[in-house]
Amino acid sequence: MATHTGAAPSRGRRFVSQLRRLYAVPTAAFGTTVFVLFLALALLGPWIAPYGANQQDYQGARMAPSSLHWFGTDHLGRDVFSRVLLGAGEILWLSGGGTLLAVLCGTAIGLLSGYLGGWLDELIMRLFDSLLALPALLLALLMLGILGASAWSVLIVMVVVYTPIVARVVRSVVLSVKTRGFVEAARLQGESLGWILFREILPSVLPTLAVETAVRFSYGIFLVASLGFLGVGVQPPSPNWGLMVKEARQTISQTPWALYYPAGAISILVIGVNLMADGLKRIFQTRHD
Amino acid sequence: MINEKTAPALNIKDLCVAYQQEGEWWEAVHEVSLQIQPGEIYGLVGESGSGKTTLALAVLRYLGKNGMIRQGKIELSGVDLVQLQPAEMRKLWGHQMALIPQNPQSSLNPAMRVGDQIAEVYRHTQDMETGEARHKAVEMLREVNIPDPGRVTLSYPHQLSGGMQQRVLIAMALSSNPSLLILDEPTTNLDVTTQATILDLLRSLIEQRQTAALYITHNLAVVAQMCRRAGVLYAGRLVEEAFINELFARPLHPYTQGLLESMPRLGDHKDSVRLRAIEGRAPVFGDIPSGCVFRPRCPIANEICETNPPLSVLPEGRKVRCHRWEVSLNEAGRSHLPDGRSDRNTTEKHQLQPLLSLEGVSVHYPLKRSLREVVRREPKRAVRAVEGMDLKILSGQTLGLVGESGSGKSTLARATLGVVDKTAGTIELLGIQLPDKLSRRTLDTLRKVQSVFQNPEEALNPYLTVGEILQRPMMTLLGWSRQEAIGRVPDLLRAVRLPAMYAERLPTQLSGGEKQRVAIARASAAKPNLLICDEPVSALDVSVQASILNLLEDLQAEHGNSLLFISHDMAVVGFLADTIAVIYLGELVEIAETGDLFKSPYHPYTEALLSAIPGTKVESRRVAAPLVGEIPSPIEKPGGCPFHSRCPRLVGEICKRQPPPWQSQQGSSKRYLCHIPWEELQAQQGDIQGFEISRG
Amino acid sequence: MKVNLHIIGRNKIALVIMLVLVFVSACGRVGATQPAPAAPTQGQSVSAEPRSERNGILRVAMQPIVQADPAFISSDSEVLVANHVYDYLVDIDPASKVIPRLAVDWQIENDGLTYVFTLAEGVQFHDGSPLTAQDVVWTFNRLRDPELELPTADLYSNIADIQATGELEVTFILNQPNPFFLYDLSDNHALVLKANTQDAATKFNGTGPFKVTSYSPEDRIILEANKDYYIQDLPKLEGVEILFFNDENAAVDALRSGQVDLVMRMSTALFTSLQDEPGIYTLDIPTNGFDLVRLRSDREPGDDPRVIQAFKLATDREAILQLVQQGYGAVGRDSPIGPMYTQYYSEETPIPERDVQAARQLLSEAGYPQGLDIVLHTPDTGGRPDLAVVLKEQWAEAGINVEVSVEPESVYYGEERWLEVDLGITGWGSRPYPQFYLDVMLKCEAVWNESHFCDPEFDELTTTAGTSLDEAQQAEAYQKIQQILIERGPVIIPYFFAQFAAISDKFQGFELKPFAGRTDFRLVNLQE
Repeated sequence: MATHTGAAPSRGRRFVSQLRRLYAVPTAAFGTTVFVLFLALALLGPWIAPYGANQQDYQGARMAPSSLHWFGTDHLGRDVFSRVLLGAGEILWLSGGGTLLAVLCGTAIGLLSGYLGGWLDELIMRLFDSLLALPALLLALLMLGILGASAWSVLIVMVVVYTPIVARVVRSVVLSVKTRGFVEAARLQGESLGWILFREILPSVLPTLAVETAVRFSYGIFLVASLGFLGVGVQPPSPNWGLMVKEARQTISQTPWALYYPAGAISILVIGVNLMADGLKRIFQTRHD
Repeated sequence: MINEKTAPALNIKDLCVAYQQEGEWWEAVHEVSLQIQPGEIYGLVGESGSGKTTLALAVLRYLGKNGMIRQGKIELSGVDLVQLQPAEMRKLWGHQMALIPQNPQSSLNPAMRVGDQIAEVYRHTQDMETGEARHKAVEMLREVNIPDPGRVTLSYPHQLSGGMQQRVLIAMALSSNPSLLILDEPTTNLDVTTQATILDLLRSLIEQRQTAALYITHNLAVVAQMCRRAGVLYAGRLVEEAFINELFARPLHPYTQGLLESMPRLGDHKDSVRLRAIEGRAPVFGDIPSGCVFRPRCPIANEICETNPPLSVLPEGRKVRCHRWEVSLNEAGRSHLPDGRSDRNTTEKHQLQPLLSLEGVSVHYPLKRSLREVVRREPKRAVRAVEGMDLKILSGQTLGLVGESGSGKSTLARATLGVVDKTAGTIELLGIQLPDKLSRRTLDTLRKVQSVFQNPEEALNPYLTVGEILQRPMMTLLGWSRQEAIGRVPDLLRAVRLPAMYAERLPTQLSGGEKQRVAIARASAAKPNLLICDEPVSALDVSVQASILNLLEDLQAEHGNSLLFISHDMAVVGFLADTIAVIYLGELVEIAETGDLFKSPYHPYTEALLSAIPGTKVESRRVAAPLVGEIPSPIEKPGGCPFHSRCPRLVGEICKRQPPPWQSQQGSSKRYLCHIPWEELQAQQGDIQGFEISRG
Repeated sequence: MKVNLHIIGRNKIALVIMLVLVFVSACGRVGATQPAPAAPTQGQSVSAEPRSERNGILRVAMQPIVQADPAFISSDSEVLVANHVYDYLVDIDPASKVIPRLAVDWQIENDGLTYVFTLAEGVQFHDGSPLTAQDVVWTFNRLRDPELELPTADLYSNIADIQATGELEVTFILNQPNPFFLYDLSDNHALVLKANTQDAATKFNGTGPFKVTSYSPEDRIILEANKDYYIQDLPKLEGVEILFFNDENAAVDALRSGQVDLVMRMSTALFTSLQDEPGIYTLDIPTNGFDLVRLRSDREPGDDPRVIQAFKLATDREAILQLVQQGYGAVGRDSPIGPMYTQYYSEETPIPERDVQAARQLLSEAGYPQGLDIVLHTPDTGGRPDLAVVLKEQWAEAGINVEVSVEPESVYYGEERWLEVDLGITGWGSRPYPQFYLDVMLKCEAVWNESHFCDPEFDELTTTAGTSLDEAQQAEAYQKIQQILIERGPVIIPYFFAQFAAISDKFQGFELKPFAGRTDFRLVNLQE
């Protein structure tokens, strides 16, 4: 008998080994590092930010970056470094929370719709098609017009905008998985719908879902920032990066740094998360080949 | 004729090929040497992972970036390919060497007309003008027996059947008249009747053109039919090489013996023969045993085998890499069971209760009508996968279902399982009519009918451990508690000859054969009355097939369950089944007890199936033409006899007009659906002759 | 006073835009009977000795114009064009004084009920016909005709009759005395057209200093000097080209690159960025436009004067001016009577110093010992979101916890929301006289009484100021009004805006007005 004698590795060990594989690809390693770094900054932000997010100093307004204000101050005399730092938490929790909720809803709907098929599937998918026919940002703007601008609205918008996308992805995997022998075997064994969906099918969806979650997350960051930029999302004086860019845009000739730093933070985080998603995709693809 | 004295067209010497995986190099081919003379077909036999495709790619110098030729020579007409630059290699491809791959579909450009693709080869290799190249293409297609080649040149690949596509590829490969032809499983994806014609074609073309051919396959029967000499590859090592007759008559290496004895021959039956399976599984990268690579699976291995066996060169061009080949020669032989071993045979058939009976079962898949059809009020069309099927399975018996792909055999199984809805007819289990829908069937019904699927890779949920997989049917179907179910798992594993510790493993850690064992264990966990096996061994290597077949048989003997066994392989069905049903285009054309089936007369379709098996001959008093054409679409089925469009024994108009009657005779369990009466057909056909290896 | 009520019904947004945009309209009686001397340079101006020869073409970057009929114009650019193609009867100078234009002289008789105007001689329309009193009569009859429902119908509803009492003499007869009537006659729309003009939107047949030579909507309008202008030597330019820009950034870029010579109205940041630009001269003048922070005084929490006082004490107006307006404009004193109204503005009542502790104390006394949570609504335009953010920070120190809600103008002003919310910021445009604000914003029954302020003493004083023809009495009333607003008015006016312009230093004679559209190019010309 050959080598494969060990028991199934524990989940923890599997996670560590996958993280190691993520770090084997340089771009994915970069992306993951960026993400973890931002996450750390977001968590530590309230403790390490030298100033408050809305702490104003009218004598110190519009100051260029210096040792006192690393990223300078904006037109209202707020420390840009502190605002970028404190904004990390907000954007990460909004986009992360929204993504997670959308993934939960999308997964549940995608599983049911894909597995049961028939008119229900047809109905849900046509409904989602019509939702997806609208550009995400347009849909978001429409909804925020109705809901009113607030962090919770942004969260709801993300769920509505991303649930159909996640559901479609999940459904497509379900469609291919449900014809496999083990699903049929489960049906022949008289397994319940819940067991078939969550124990038989869901695990096969998870790799794709992980990648999709990461991709959605990066889009989510962008969406939250865009809504902030358009002024329909989170309200001032929140240190939302998009909002900061919007505010700084009007004074770009005077305080360009107030625009560059939050804009740079958005791009770096989005690129980082994208590279991480790319790495995840590679890991899961090679695992399936 | 092949002259052994002339320089070989291909001379491979001490070839080692390695692959890089996760930073480490693993040898996939180790010190392989072989020569092929012009006009000779050399068979390279090996199971999956044996390195046979790697060897072919190495000869083509077409290894991926992670592959490397470590040492050795590959001389083609005296030129060492290993030393050539990539640019020089490119000149050889198509000119001096050509490849016919396994999957024709992926080798043809789907967006280019077939004629243009062939013509391009001419333009490239022989600098022909476009017009001349086109002309040549038509000629070449005629040479590979394509009817109406002019029309075919204008077709796109998807408009051609798999067999036709393979012919086109053969035409392309031979168009440049290469000195070496590499055939990598060229008929594996084809139906057995198509395979027979392609093999015939290849053999005549190679002989005629005096090409050296390396024929790579896992199918020993094909090698037996095609090749002059053959080598057996195991874990990247050439373990034996011999002329074909010698190899089959007196295999020296225990692995070769195992391969030969693990496959049932036509006419072998479980009541008289026990297959000798090779235990264990083939080594994988990084897991090559020291000493003799076959040692862990070898029935006659002893201490000496822990050292590397030398390549023994024997008279008559034989080579074997085994310490104990002399011992092995004497140990060989399949276990013939004493007559009347099976108690089941003593029970008279008519006393047995029918477990499952199908009456007039039809399954049609309705086609969606196009808008135009709806507007024109054309009738709804349907794929008529199964049509008016009457079958019975007796308790404790095995019914074999044989047919080519598209014959509806799987659909029939799925309708029985309740996975697809039948259109008409009744299915009764122990006299109780089964509802169509799975959801309407009771747990007890579900328990009674279980299934083993074709593809073991998909049969098990990769995210559940073997133990979890095996517990479920006992919990759901028998209503046991988890504890009770867990307690039974080791017994189930033992029953399928797997160690109890396998319960902790994930399916990805199992080999294909082991997965199929787990699938069988799962299917039999709740003690079903009927086990439906849809091609359970076709995805497995030859050496593993035997153990699965043995296992199914043992389980049946132990539990007394019935078996519906579906296969395209006549020999496999013949080995396992008590009764065999042959179906064509969704209709039953012949049914008989296994012993009677192999006696003439046969339905012409059965005859075609039997005679297409490589190495098998049906003695024909009146030579029947080979099967012509393709299987008709099940949407527009021909009227009259379903087989009339391809039948080599067509009587006349009556076959096209009138549905044929059932023919039978006192004293035989056989019934067949044909216009030709019993005696007349019997007069035209002889009994089959499977290839028999006379032992020296 | 009624202001264009039919518009309120028809289109609230248009109304709001009119409100926010600065427009000069008037109703009133003014004490001055003497014509003022020609244009003393009171605003900031590029001063230079005017030359007699016409010289240069001024290229101006402005928003595209939509309306060309003077009766309908409202935006800066529309008024700018009309102001140069036509003439007003009387005009207003940068110091908000009424000055002559087509009317060179006027008499007020009959206790302020009769106004007699004498028109300038030798005035010609661009088609060559002479200006007569009949043209003026026709123009104002059109503007006040209730049937036509023009935006000015309400404004002029107080006029009983208009008569041509001579070839160049026009007499207006009023129903009631109106101290601001001359201002009303100088309303943006009150441009004199030729009698019986049918297609004012396309003809451009005015008496003004420039003639329209070509007009391409969305692109530009080209004006050339009217050589037969009734004032000799004017205009001093050969022509004016108004190029249409939708984006102020693009307009400023065009100015930087020399594609245009003049940009008026721009954000503070853009204006600041032009400060050190060589070849560009920047001008700013204070206006009476302001942002109003108001707390509803008719319900909790604003119905307690202590709460209002706490809000005021927690506000640092100087810091707000510095942060939000970068120091341009003027600090406000919680009353709409700004320093621009030199004759009415008073600093007599001191504004209490910022005192966070006192504010806390007042809140505590009013029943909010733990502080106060409240939503601050603000439209998304101008410096208002910034103002909200700064206020949030300042008030937080006093325990007033504000949640900022930035809303598009259409939302904030739509559905009368701005009159409904408890705490809001509203922008108000600059007016030539202050009575308007008091009448429409702060009187108990005012149409736009967003703070729901209701104070009998205040109302009485406002009525006095709006009807008295006695200047001293009027000034006193306004002074008292300012005191009331500082002491108990539910509004905070932290600053007055500045109006900005930037012009190529090749030009001279440019004078900026609080309402950019009323800027006068007649004296501008190219420096030699």
